[in-house]
Amino acid sequence: MPDDQRGAPTPPPPRRRIQAPQDFVAGLGLMALAAFALWASADVPAGRLGSPGPGLLPRAIAVLLGLTGAALVAGSFLWKGDPLARLSLRGPLFVVLGVIGFALTVRSPGLVVAGPLVVMVGGAASPETRYRELAVFAVVITAFCVGLFRYVLHLPVPILVLPGLVTI
Amino acid sequence: MKTSLAVFAAVALSLPVESPRAAYPERPITLVVPFAAGGPTDIVARIVSEHMSRTLGQQIVIENVAGAGGTTGITRASQATPDGYTIMMGHMGTHGAAPAVYPTLKYDPVKDFAPVGLAAGTPILIVARKTFPAKDLREFVAYVRANATKLNEAHAGVGSVSFTTCTLLNSLLSAKPTRVVYRGTGPALNDLVAGQVDYMCDQIVNLVPQIQAGTIKAYAVAIPQRSAALPDVPTTKEAGLPDFQVSAWNAIFAPKKTPPEIVAKLNDALVRALDDENTRKRLLDLGADIADRPGRSPQALQKLVESEVARWNRVLKAAGATTR
Amino acid sequence: MGDLVANLALGFSVALSVQNVALALVGCLVGTLVGVLPGVGPIATITMLLPITFGIHPVGALIMLAGIYYGAQYGGSTTAILVNIPGEVTSVVTTLDGHQMARQGRAGAALGVAAIGSFFAGCVATVIVAALAVPLTRLALLFGPAEYASLMMTGLAFAVVLARGSVLKSIAMTLLGLLLSTVGTDLETGVERMTFGYLALADGLDFAVLAMGLFGFAEVLRNLEAVEARDVVRQKIGQVIPTRQDFRQSAAPIVRGSLLGAALGILPGNGAVLGPFASYALEKKLARDPSRFGRGAIEGVAGPESANNAAAQTSFIPLLTLGIPPNAVMALMVGAMTIHGIVPGPLVMTRNASLFWGLVASMWIGNLMLLVINLPLIGIWVRFLKVPYRLMYPAILVFCCIGIYSVNNSPSDVLFTAAFAVIGYLLGKVGLESAPLLLGYVLGRLLEENLRRALAIARGDFSAFVHRPVSAVLLAVAVVVLVVAVLPGIRKERDQVFAE
Repeated sequence: MPDDQRGAPTPPPPRRRIQAPQDFVAGLGLMALAAFALWASADVPAGRLGSPGPGLLPRAIAVLLGLTGAALVAGSFLWKGDPLARLSLRGPLFVVLGVIGFALTVRSPGLVVAGPLVVMVGGAASPETRYRELAVFAVVITAFCVGLFRYVLHLPVPILVLPGLVTI
Repeated sequence: MKTSLAVFAAVALSLPVESPRAAYPERPITLVVPFAAGGPTDIVARIVSEHMSRTLGQQIVIENVAGAGGTTGITRASQATPDGYTIMMGHMGTHGAAPAVYPTLKYDPVKDFAPVGLAAGTPILIVARKTFPAKDLREFVAYVRANATKLNEAHAGVGSVSFTTCTLLNSLLSAKPTRVVYRGTGPALNDLVAGQVDYMCDQIVNLVPQIQAGTIKAYAVAIPQRSAALPDVPTTKEAGLPDFQVSAWNAIFAPKKTPPEIVAKLNDALVRALDDENTRKRLLDLGADIADRPGRSPQALQKLVESEVARWNRVLKAAGATTR
Repeated sequence: MGDLVANLALGFSVALSVQNVALALVGCLVGTLVGVLPGVGPIATITMLLPITFGIHPVGALIMLAGIYYGAQYGGSTTAILVNIPGEVTSVVTTLDGHQMARQGRAGAALGVAAIGSFFAGCVATVIVAALAVPLTRLALLFGPAEYASLMMTGLAFAVVLARGSVLKSIAMTLLGLLLSTVGTDLETGVERMTFGYLALADGLDFAVLAMGLFGFAEVLRNLEAVEARDVVRQKIGQVIPTRQDFRQSAAPIVRGSLLGAALGILPGNGAVLGPFASYALEKKLARDPSRFGRGAIEGVAGPESANNAAAQTSFIPLLTLGIPPNAVMALMVGAMTIHGIVPGPLVMTRNASLFWGLVASMWIGNLMLLVINLPLIGIWVRFLKVPYRLMYPAILVFCCIGIYSVNNSPSDVLFTAAFAVIGYLLGKVGLESAPLLLGYVLGRLLEENLRRALAIARGDFSAFVHRPVSAVLLAVAVVVLVVAVLPGIRKERDQVFAE
């Protein structure tokens, strides 16, 4: 080992490197949310402290939220924390699509379509899904739900609604 | 090819196609109640619809769609298919005060509905905490006029019956008390009993047991005759404030283009329900006020809606009590 | 004392009739079912089954409906433990440790302790309702808006303690929850806040939407990623019943939770929601090793579950003694009673003694039935966990979607849930927890309304909060809890840094 390297002082830790990426992103996100909330409630009258209007509490909370976010961001430079985890696309995408599909179809044509729809589309979210098995399961579980929610619990969930033709 | 066409035709023709006029009703009817279950409008709706179901031969299913002073439910029901299978229970708030209270209201109580008939009204009472320094309505009026700024009046939110009716009362008394808002009549009543607030205007249904037990004081009932449920409480006419006449009426409406034959059938079922001994007894026990025969027609209801919209528009705009 | 015995005797004679026992059973079964199903709650069910009760005698009808209500409390903890979906507001806290226990293969123990704790709490609460209803009501009337606001501040302080990780993040999530609770139409002025003109948002976000999205769906999204961790857990069968060690650890939390829940349930104005949160905070503070909480500490299930069941029973008190419902379910009961010709009010206890005492006695019978129903079910529920996830999660999706839709018959609620699923997923990715958010949301409305109400009554004078004795005490408790929670938190973070 060459002499000059053993005795050389260790270089100072690189400044301005984010030690806690999760906290950093979290803090930024919160600050963004706080800013959004402040913007969204800009036209709501705030009143005074002694007689708060509808806008006072939301704005006060938004400010506090922003400050907390800022504290998180600041802390992310000072203290070590967890690194950012990877985001996957497939899972959230298909689950969300499935649920949206349910929302769009539940009123009409009704549960007989919405149920299998969310099951099959949601099923695409997992690489382990076996589609033929899932298709049978979709029918079975929809039938079970129809029986349970409509006939046992008497909840007015639309089963089959085709405007002008059929309403169950 | 021909066989499949024939099969298709046979299947299509045998599907339960809806023929609205033929034999109404052929399946259960949905009655939308735009308030949470358990409240006065909901109770009236349930009592009345139970009998109506028997006359019509089909079940009337109550669907509670609460929100925004009842306007959410009414908005949704007013946009339903006008085939007689979706009707709604509106009231003084949703079909009277709403246009004045909600500038962005998505329906017009006068134009967007086919009125079926008035069901039952719940008279309004002026009540106060039991330690309120007034023996009767005259003393109450005098006290409120003199001390309005020191008083706290409870109500259940902008657009609620307790809010609109007390707006009228306050304007008659030229009083500007501090108006304290609660999420519903229950919490408001609770604080009145506890003495945290001073007075309130509310529907009789909620108040009868408290008055009978003496936890709150009732000064007057705002209808022409005394209520059978509270025979000791004078009317506003008797007690010196005849201008304060309010009843939170409840009525059944159908969406705009519902065929007149269906409306007539519904009205007939409603009238029979209101004539039935048992139904009458249950409504009267609550303190509700059943419309008399001439007042039960769809035309009478339409007139009532028009006059109420005009009246509340005047009262609320004058008091400056509208949103935004 | 003699009066109490006589009254209870009357009550049991009413409640033990064949018809009433059968009705209690139906109510408990339906209630358990409703509690297990995500989204569907006692309100929707009681509303739907109300017409069926028309032909039944009033006492019987009320016994059945009451059974649905507290049965739902038992059922709600099942989904909270098994699949991390809180069925009711009161089950949110159970998800924290209960689900962790399930992941460690101890679902049976968690479910067992929840059931047994709830039964004990039910017994304690029934005794309180029977013996102390009237004096407690008088105490509860002392709680005005100022006291409620201070109570909610104390509740918020608990939120900080809920955190598994960083205190700062917990505070942030609580604030976010508070912010979300302000979305909607302002009660006092009718002004719309942050609704962007959407009718669906006019009444604010629904608790079920937040809970399903942030807990239920987001959990599905997380599990879809973490395949290995999830499958290992599914292999473990674990104990189906709690061990003696579990009982020893749970005994004191159960007692404390019961008393805490019973006390909070009486407050008209839905103070009951605080019960489980307060119990969790208390147990975490009293535990020898608080770091176990959030990782499967059985006390974190025993205490809150007892609290929520005790609160469910005592929340009948304002209804039965005053006739004023403390929450939406009780408001339904008012409607049910009214339709049956009994208008609830202060005189019901004397005029309708058999109704009052019959209901009280049937509460105890109902709790016993629920214990008997739920304990054997544990074996079945635990076996559900072994269903392959590729089938389990689509089933969860369907049940949750229908459940959410059924709350308001509104498809936009389902859409919002999807949005919150994504938000919950993203929050998890940056280490932000959902439990404090839900607590902030639940408390937000109560806090704001009572704060503004108190200020209106006091004409803007803040000293009202400190001058009134109960309020001052509660605020002091809030400050103490906050300080005690934050200090070790700071120390821990510093320790973490030094450890690196």
